[in-house]
Amino acid sequence: MRTRRGLSKLLVEPAAVATGDIAFNLIVFFLVCASSQPSTGRRQDLPSSEKSKQEQQNKSIEVSLTRSATMVTVNGDPMKSVEFPARIVRLLSQKQRPEDRVVIVKSTPDTPYQHWIDITSQIQDAGGSITIQREEQRTEVVGQ
Amino acid sequence: MKIARKPMKADVPSVAMGDIAFNLLIFFVILARAQDDTHVRWEPAKAIGVQPNASSRVSVVIDTNGKIHLNGRQIGEVQLAEAIKGLLGSQPEGKRTVLLKVHRTAPAEKFEPVIEAISQAGGEMVHVLNQEVKE
Repeated sequence: MRTRRGLSKLLVEPAAVATGDIAFNLIVFFLVCASSQPSTGRRQDLPSSEKSKQEQQNKSIEVSLTRSATMVTVNGDPMKSVEFPARIVRLLSQKQRPEDRVVIVKSTPDTPYQHWIDITSQIQDAGGSITIQREEQRTEVVGQ
Repeated sequence: MKIARKPMKADVPSVAMGDIAFNLLIFFVILARAQDDTHVRWEPAKAIGVQPNASSRVSVVIDTNGKIHLNGRQIGEVQLAEAIKGLLGSQPEGKRTVLLKVHRTAPAEKFEPVIEAISQAGGEMVHVLNQEVKE
């Protein structure tokens, strides 16, 4: 009997105040876990359209991209993507003025973003500035 | 002879503090969701030499289905430039960052008009990418 009385004295309930704190900490934990979006990236400055038109009048480097991630066309000359960094560095090193270092990037509509970002990153790293040239899409109704 | 009254306690129960904190937290979470795009599904492309992003009030996402979302809300390609311009307002240079999150397989016909719209709106574009790890 003596032992039982001693045990009942030891059973102490945790303070109810603590449950709120536990809930709060759990929410913070799950919020931190949920925000797993990448927080890194790459800044890209595109010249304004008027400026880029002026620059395009000069002889600029033209890079064409297609669906194939292994091929790039530079000034009409097709090459493997792995050869592109060295080629763009060589071409840009011949251009001294910043306005001459504009690279026109033309992409077919099915060019994947991963391929596009790989090539444009290499152009930026080589000291070039990028201008996008898009084909105007026109819908023409042919006689029924 | 006056009988001294026992002073009555009128304390706020401390149990309520947790509930207040909880409600405040929910309030701020709901407020923050107005600009949240975590529900939009996209997979970032990988690149070498990526840097930590600056905070931004504007984010544009092209999701796995090629749909465009501005600050978590779906928007058409035509309205995008004006909407970004409105969000950026008269912010000075250096504070006009627009985060661009494009699904890695999105085709050029989807992302090029978005890039053009950001440029037209005077946004300073930052591509959100993952660091490429070379083995």
